[in-house]
Amino acid sequence: MERRSFLKSFGAVAACATLLPSIVSAADEAKKVTGPNEMNIETAISAITGGKAVTPSSKVSLSAPEIAENGAVVPIKVTVTSAMTDKEYVKAIHVFATKNNNVRCANVYLTPANGEASFGTRIKLGGTQDVLAIAEMSDGTFLSGKQNVKVTIGGCG
Amino acid sequence: MKIKEGFIMAEMKTLIKIKPKDYKAGDVVKIDFMAMHPMESGMRKDKDTGAIIPAHYINEVSFSFNDKLVTKMVTWESLSVNPVLTISFKVPSAGTLNVLAKDNKGQSVESTVAITPKG
Repeated sequence: MERRSFLKSFGAVAACATLLPSIVSAADEAKKVTGPNEMNIETAISAITGGKAVTPSSKVSLSAPEIAENGAVVPIKVTVTSAMTDKEYVKAIHVFATKNNNVRCANVYLTPANGEASFGTRIKLGGTQDVLAIAEMSDGTFLSGKQNVKVTIGGCG
Repeated sequence: MKIKEGFIMAEMKTLIKIKPKDYKAGDVVKIDFMAMHPMESGMRKDKDTGAIIPAHYINEVSFSFNDKLVTKMVTWESLSVNPVLTISFKVPSAGTLNVLAKDNKGQSVESTVAITPKG
């Protein structure tokens, strides 16, 4: 083999070796689908509270099944103990699925006309995770309640 | 589940249920709002073509009684297909309850139910 041709072929192999990892990682990234409103739990909570502390409280009761066979339909119910008068009421209930691509499920803004602070719906869960409810009280404090839900079949994708 | 093309929200089926059926003025009742909406997350792929189905979900629901806002919700794609939203409502008097739902494609649907307390 002549020196010139050897260098050529060596160069081609080297180029392949450097290119290959980048191709693989690009393919991996293409597989990972991200939703249009992707957001993690820390960002979502700070957007709601504006940096204020969130206290876990027994006033916020979140009921969800401990084991959900189908992650596509998980019934949840949030009840916050409050008199719901004009002076003291629950301003909002925020529901988060802590490990979904977009953790936000629903932000419910209540008024004293509700009579009771409660909210129920059915959500999709991508896997086993905590469901978190944050209640924004009229005095500006934030209370939270959460429950872990084991999902045997995911609901996203 | 295969979603038919060109979902039109104005033709969407909605249902408002009041529990219990018999109530008096001053009672706290549960109001269920159900909507037949695909609630696409934007993360699902079409099984035939492999293309990602664009996100399409209800993003705002407002409940008002006699034109006065009772509850406003901002909802995201994490709600299940054909979502059911339940709130409490203290019945002040007879009147109409109005539910306005909007989705992220700018479509909206409005449904009303009469509130008729007995006694």
